[in-house]
Amino acid sequence: MQVLAERYGLETPEKLVTRLVKRLRQHAFWDIVLVFLPPLAVGIYCVTTLYRGGWITGAVFVIAAFTAVALILAILIHRYQSALPSLRLAAHLIDERAGATDRFITLSTIEPSSCAPSLLGRLRSEAAGFLPRVRIKHDFPYKLKRSFYRSVLGALVFAAVFHLLLPIAGSWNAPRTVPERLREIAGKMAERPRMTELARQLQTLAAKMEDVNGAREEKQAAVQEMQKKIEQEQKKEEQKDNRDLLGQAASALQGADQQPGNGQEQQKKSDGGGGGGIQSNLPEKGKGETKSSSGSGDGKGEVTAELSKDMQEGKTSAGDPKEQGKEKNQQKVGEGKGDRPDASKADGDKTQEISGKTQGEREDKQGKDKGSEDIPQGAPPAERLSRPGEEGKGGIKGARYVTVQLPEEIAADSKGTTSGTKDSKSNRVGPKLPVSNVPLPAHLPDAPTEKQRVPLEYRGIIR
Amino acid sequence: MSEEKITVEPQQFKEVFNRLEAEVQKIIVGHEDVIRKVLIAFFAGGHVLLEGVPGLGKTLLVKSLSRALGVTFKRIQFTPDLMPSDIVGTQVLTEESGRREFQFKKGPIFAHVVLADEINRATPKTQSAVLEAMEEHQVTVFGTSYTLESPFMVLATQNPIELEGTYPLPEAQLDRFFFKLLVTPPSPGELREILKRTTGTESAAIAKVLPDDSGQLVSAMKHLLRQVLIAPPIEDYVVRLVHATQPVGSNGGNPAAPVKQYLRFGSSPRGAQSAILGAKGNALAEGRVHVSYADVEKVVYPALRHRIILNFQAEAENVNSDQILSEVIKQLPRN
Repeated sequence: MQVLAERYGLETPEKLVTRLVKRLRQHAFWDIVLVFLPPLAVGIYCVTTLYRGGWITGAVFVIAAFTAVALILAILIHRYQSALPSLRLAAHLIDERAGATDRFITLSTIEPSSCAPSLLGRLRSEAAGFLPRVRIKHDFPYKLKRSFYRSVLGALVFAAVFHLLLPIAGSWNAPRTVPERLREIAGKMAERPRMTELARQLQTLAAKMEDVNGAREEKQAAVQEMQKKIEQEQKKEEQKDNRDLLGQAASALQGADQQPGNGQEQQKKSDGGGGGGIQSNLPEKGKGETKSSSGSGDGKGEVTAELSKDMQEGKTSAGDPKEQGKEKNQQKVGEGKGDRPDASKADGDKTQEISGKTQGEREDKQGKDKGSEDIPQGAPPAERLSRPGEEGKGGIKGARYVTVQLPEEIAADSKGTTSGTKDSKSNRVGPKLPVSNVPLPAHLPDAPTEKQRVPLEYRGIIR
Repeated sequence: MSEEKITVEPQQFKEVFNRLEAEVQKIIVGHEDVIRKVLIAFFAGGHVLLEGVPGLGKTLLVKSLSRALGVTFKRIQFTPDLMPSDIVGTQVLTEESGRREFQFKKGPIFAHVVLADEINRATPKTQSAVLEAMEEHQVTVFGTSYTLESPFMVLATQNPIELEGTYPLPEAQLDRFFFKLLVTPPSPGELREILKRTTGTESAAIAKVLPDDSGQLVSAMKHLLRQVLIAPPIEDYVVRLVHATQPVGSNGGNPAAPVKQYLRFGSSPRGAQSAILGAKGNALAEGRVHVSYADVEKVVYPALRHRIILNFQAEAENVNSDQILSEVIKQLPRN
């Protein structure tokens, strides 16, 4: 066989099979690379677009890139190993090409030590006779597989869909805070040489808006100043892209103008961990700011009714806004479960709602007027008492007052005379109320106090 | 001449084989495939079951083959009253020089080629008497074993019609046949040739191909047949093929639909042995020293058709083993 091979200047059958295996391995490698190349390119394009569009941060971009590369490498290696052509496949292909009736497959797979040398030698020489019929480069050229075309098509479709969906997704994007939007616009502006200064100013404004300690008036002034600048720039600007960008900045600033003190509020919202759409309409720590509620009318009524109930139970109106916010959330959840009150109950709620609302408004006013009357939360009971020189009459801060009617006063009332004891006599002439331990009505500062009979067990103490 | 000294080259094997074929074909018209497979079975050391309607030349084929081989030939006509002793032989009381003693009188099984004509007409007891001879190449009479001559081959025939009063061969006995060959009616051209040869005055004579003392040569040819190279992927193909005939797939394998539907039992390992040896014989007959996939596919039908047991549904729907095997081959990939 060797002699024959030398005569033809060819290699041995086994070498031919090995060479074909190498070539088929290269084919397999290119097959896999070409299948993965289009999706990889599209993936890089999509991630870069998302990054440049500000959809993802730099860290996410890097992590995504590393993960994608690692994943693709792992898949490539796995697919390559599974797609590696075997010796028998290569031999089979040569047999088919040369019409060698399985001579090459027998030669390349048989264990030489287990067979008769004479027969093996004969088989080798027979196979060598078929060698001139096979030219590896000519007979086994690389051809693009159908999977590559499918991959290209799939990647193109994906890229097109991505392009179509990106603006839609942009509109669906969750509303971001004004400073974030300003920063994003500033980032875009920074890329344009003529707008770098404006970008820097927007960045500064965003930082200022996020400053919790900054005064609200200052922020509003800064926003308005920036709005003016942008308007001026818009007038000067000739390029459409730049004008659009300035328009975006203007609309963002308009949003900021409509949300006074938004920086602090948004920060609080995020701290609260999901305040949802409900905003408290209670005064915040004496500021007495009112906010609109995004909940339904029923919900609102229920919330205010609940709050007035709390007040009846003796809670202060200047409570912790966070706590109140939580209560509101719970209320919202209850509402979501479909726990609807019946009609009669609704009527009752309505009256409670009205009283609650008026109560709330008054509380707001009180909050504004008496900002110093905050009750120290968690303080010992002694601190809840007014100190000498402080406002109040030695009573409990924020306490509600009940005019206690003693038996003799009740008797006098029935006779038509009032006892002239205590300061209640002069200015607190209220309607005669039934004596019971029913919950007190909401505390109204200007409303006349109720009269209650003193419970028997406290009679001795109060006297 | 010692056995070690006789070596047969593949080319020599092919020449002898082709001469044998040619000699038999002097008498038998057509049936080239049957003749080739009978010869392959002979050199592979197996036995053949020939099935065909009467008058197709089965008996003549066997006779012609034995004449061409130049080996001893005996014919046993199986009938319902045939006894085992009629086949294997018996002890006969003899008197010699005043001494009486039992002497073993050999039956017709003691021949190189035995024709068991219409084997399905004998009782199972008699049929089973042939079993030991076929498998062990020996017979036991009154506790004494007698070795049969080598080469030894049983060529049984059976008639697929006229089944009344017959005893179909049990699966165990069928499994001992290397090949089951179907003898088909001749084509018009073949029939014309048969008539020409048999109705005229001329009669062809068969020449002996093998020498008188052909035992060692046949052994050497048998040895060469077993040396033929077979690639592991082709062996694996045979294994998968035989395994695919199992109606209940082992190792979680799922059998092909016709196998599941029509087979009661799949082939035994003897089926795989027959397929590989038959493929080797076919390769040598074609002048090759290695087995190809085509060799396997040529012999897989005669090697497996009597080893797969059809169920009632297959018989009711007139589905035969060859149809199922062709489906299996079609569905099984080579690599």
